[in-house]
Amino acid sequence: MDKLHLEKHISHQFDVDLEELKSQALEMGGLVEQQIIDAVSAIEHGDSDIAERVIKVEDDIDLREVALDEACTNVLACRQPAASDLRLVLTVTKMTRDLERIGDEAHKIAKMALALHESADGLTGYEEARHMGALVQRMMQQVLDAFARFDVEKALDVAKADKQVDREYKSAMRELVTYMMEDPRSISRSMNILWTLRSLERIGDHARNIAEHVIFLVKGLDVRHSSIKEMERQLNKR
Amino acid sequence: MKESSENLNAIDLVNRSLKARYRAEKRFKAYGIAAILFGLACLVILFTDIISKGHSAFLQTEVYLEVTFDSDRLDIDDVSNSAQLMAADYQGIIKAALRERFPDVSGRRDKRTLYSLVSNGAGFSLREMLIDDPSLLGKTVGVWLVADDDIDTYVKSRGDNPEDAFTGRMSDKQIAWVESLMENDQLALNFNTTFFTSGDSREPEQAGILGAVMGSLFTLIVTIVLSFPIGVAAAVYLEEYAPRNRLTDFIEVNINNLAAVPSIIFGLLGLAIFIGFFEMHRSIPLVGGLVLSLMTLPTIIISSRAAIKAVPPSIRDAALGLGASKMQMVLHHVLPLAMPGMLTGAIIGFAQALGETAPLLMIGMVAFIVDIPGGVADPATALPVQIFLWSDSPERAFVERTSAAIMVLLAFLISMNTLAIWLRKRLERRW
Amino acid sequence: MKDNTMNEPTDNVATNIEENAFSGQTVGTPLCDDAKMSMRNVNVFYDTKQAIHDVSLDIGKNEVVAMIGPSGCGKSTFLRCLNRMNDTIESCKVTGDIKLEELDIYHPKQDVVPLRARVGMVFQKPNPFPKSIYDNVAYGPRIHGLVNRKYDLDEIVESSLRRASLWDEVKDRLHSPGTGLSGGQQQRLCIARTIAVSPEVILMDEPCSALDPIATAKIEELIAELSQKFTIAIVTHSMQQAARVSHRTAYFHMGKLVEVNDTKRVFTNPEHELTEAYITGRFG
Repeated sequence: MDKLHLEKHISHQFDVDLEELKSQALEMGGLVEQQIIDAVSAIEHGDSDIAERVIKVEDDIDLREVALDEACTNVLACRQPAASDLRLVLTVTKMTRDLERIGDEAHKIAKMALALHESADGLTGYEEARHMGALVQRMMQQVLDAFARFDVEKALDVAKADKQVDREYKSAMRELVTYMMEDPRSISRSMNILWTLRSLERIGDHARNIAEHVIFLVKGLDVRHSSIKEMERQLNKR
Repeated sequence: MKESSENLNAIDLVNRSLKARYRAEKRFKAYGIAAILFGLACLVILFTDIISKGHSAFLQTEVYLEVTFDSDRLDIDDVSNSAQLMAADYQGIIKAALRERFPDVSGRRDKRTLYSLVSNGAGFSLREMLIDDPSLLGKTVGVWLVADDDIDTYVKSRGDNPEDAFTGRMSDKQIAWVESLMENDQLALNFNTTFFTSGDSREPEQAGILGAVMGSLFTLIVTIVLSFPIGVAAAVYLEEYAPRNRLTDFIEVNINNLAAVPSIIFGLLGLAIFIGFFEMHRSIPLVGGLVLSLMTLPTIIISSRAAIKAVPPSIRDAALGLGASKMQMVLHHVLPLAMPGMLTGAIIGFAQALGETAPLLMIGMVAFIVDIPGGVADPATALPVQIFLWSDSPERAFVERTSAAIMVLLAFLISMNTLAIWLRKRLERRW
Repeated sequence: MKDNTMNEPTDNVATNIEENAFSGQTVGTPLCDDAKMSMRNVNVFYDTKQAIHDVSLDIGKNEVVAMIGPSGCGKSTFLRCLNRMNDTIESCKVTGDIKLEELDIYHPKQDVVPLRARVGMVFQKPNPFPKSIYDNVAYGPRIHGLVNRKYDLDEIVESSLRRASLWDEVKDRLHSPGTGLSGGQQQRLCIARTIAVSPEVILMDEPCSALDPIATAKIEELIAELSQKFTIAIVTHSMQQAARVSHRTAYFHMGKLVEVNDTKRVFTNPEHELTEAYITGRFG
């Protein structure tokens, strides 16, 4: 049971339906990943055009979420999937929700970028944002890859990477707090950056959620709310 | 574009072939109808022939005579003395009555010819009358007496036209007497009770089929009593209990072969075993029944097995699944469900046995037997054998009797088949 | 890239399923503590052809065990061993231990009649006897001599029909023929007939395969109710049905017992690849 496959159903249409689900989810994931990149670069470069685009694309993501949910409902109703098929459909529904949330966070970051753009002065904290942005962006890429390949190892890596994002967030927060104490004028701007970092950290959490869904999809194990060590132990047991 | 033109072609082809197909179908139907019509025509010809020849046998010419029960001539002085009643010369008073009716007849020869107008069995009916009513002694009464078969034939063939009449052995004088009797309405066709109430006879007007019917009946009873239980038991064992091995295969093949063995072989077998070895009497229905049982058994076994096989296995499963033993399964479910089929097969087998002649010839049931059998151990003949015997007789009056006997046999067979259908319907409805 | 990920496992599947002539070791939890019937190393042969290979399985008390698998996998054959219905097939030979509690049912001295009174069976096709509804239900108690008085028999008939939730539909026509009922009613009549003998175990061989969905739902509901009093083993072609009615599911493949697990487990995350392939509809 190491490999998971969508093909080889007696009903070819079922194969098509499931692959359609998967590719739509991946497309949505790709879109969301691009949103993160765009939002982070809007912050970084203070580019309001990119920020506007992120805000516009967000609607598209919402529509895709609705469409995917409908597709999942249809498969559940008409095909009564079992076992891995069932897990795939469940994973896609959960994943779309996480992806949509990530989209929301990107949307928030884009709004911050617009706010920062208006009060453009100083570059403190941008470095942290860019660093964390790169981290979560890689997590996103990895988790989508893990989903596409049904790769548990990669999903586990994403879960581990989330720890790193959390650490980064904590240290960046401390740094920003120091700034704010040093220079009270920078408080509002620093708060905006803080919100941005917070959003990025949230994105990391969602990415980890998706990674857990992938583990559930492939191994049938529910590893939510357990530590990395616990996860590894359970995975080794199977 | 190309595809659509191909489609068009296809439907054109279909339409073109349609007429030919319908014609073929009509022809096919017509063949079937023709076959049925041919069969029906044969049946109609057969029946018309038999009925047209045989219906007259149910009527018998009788002569009206004023008979005097003269105690001197009969030599009876005590009507309660049965020995005297039995020994009396009834034929004598008939002769006297005839002489009285035709007083101008003289000479021994002419008188003998005159006497032959009346059947020489007619005296028995007078005896019956006297036994029934002793007060007749000494009185003169008008009675209808059975005419001789020559007269009978003459009257029946004459109709309204004396030219057509079949005269046969009759002399001109006899013809004149008969014509004079007819003019005076002293000759009439009445219902022939003798045919149904007496046994065989050399004299056609005294010959009846009751002996043959009883013989057939006794034979059939023996056949039914023996072959049905044995056949069903064998079928049940072979279907439900017997293991499938070489022995049972061998038995099965042999049963199927026996069904195809010519019936005369069974007759020979009966002759050798029952009469030769067991030293049973010849000509008795018991032996006939035994032989016919042997002959019917394969048919009954085969049809019973088919009927048992036709019981759905789901019913057996249901019974066994509830914990019924094999015997309970067979008795409670299989046999009742198979019964209509088994009965149908059995009755068809019995009908076949009823119409069988050859094996009975071999065991001597072809003998001339006047007495009506009273049981399975009395010598008897059977209906088909009787038909065979009569068809061989030279008297012309036996021709119509042969046909009449065939009608009786057919009536028997039809009623047995009706019984089979009725039983099947009834048993099927019970479930 | 997407195409690659799709195509890569395809080849593996084909080889995996075909090569996987299952090794023989049942995965999951074939045994349980509170066993009503226990089968150990059961082999069934038809002449020289082996239909069941070394199957060990427990059926717990008041448990519903579903047996699923592709046609010809031996699940029905196995089920029919449990009350020795295979005895009717001459060439069929059974080895191994099959026990109903402590009773060795294939013991040479064991009579099948009392065994079948304890282990009842419901068949694929509704097969009521061509008798009245009453006589159908009363047949078992009558042949086993369970009752002497007409009153008691009436009692059994009524309670059996009630338990088969058929009473309300037929109480006014108990003496009309059972074959006049609808397919679903006939099947429930067969269940009533089976439980009239008060068996401990009920074997069901695809009891709904000839029924429409409504009748099927009624039978399934009935199975759930009956499981409170009886132990039930059911063979079914409908995986959804197995998922709905059973507590544990056993998957047979080519005469071998591949996997036995909690039904929920089997239908969300089966342990064995063959089970997975079967329940997701991947057998070509």
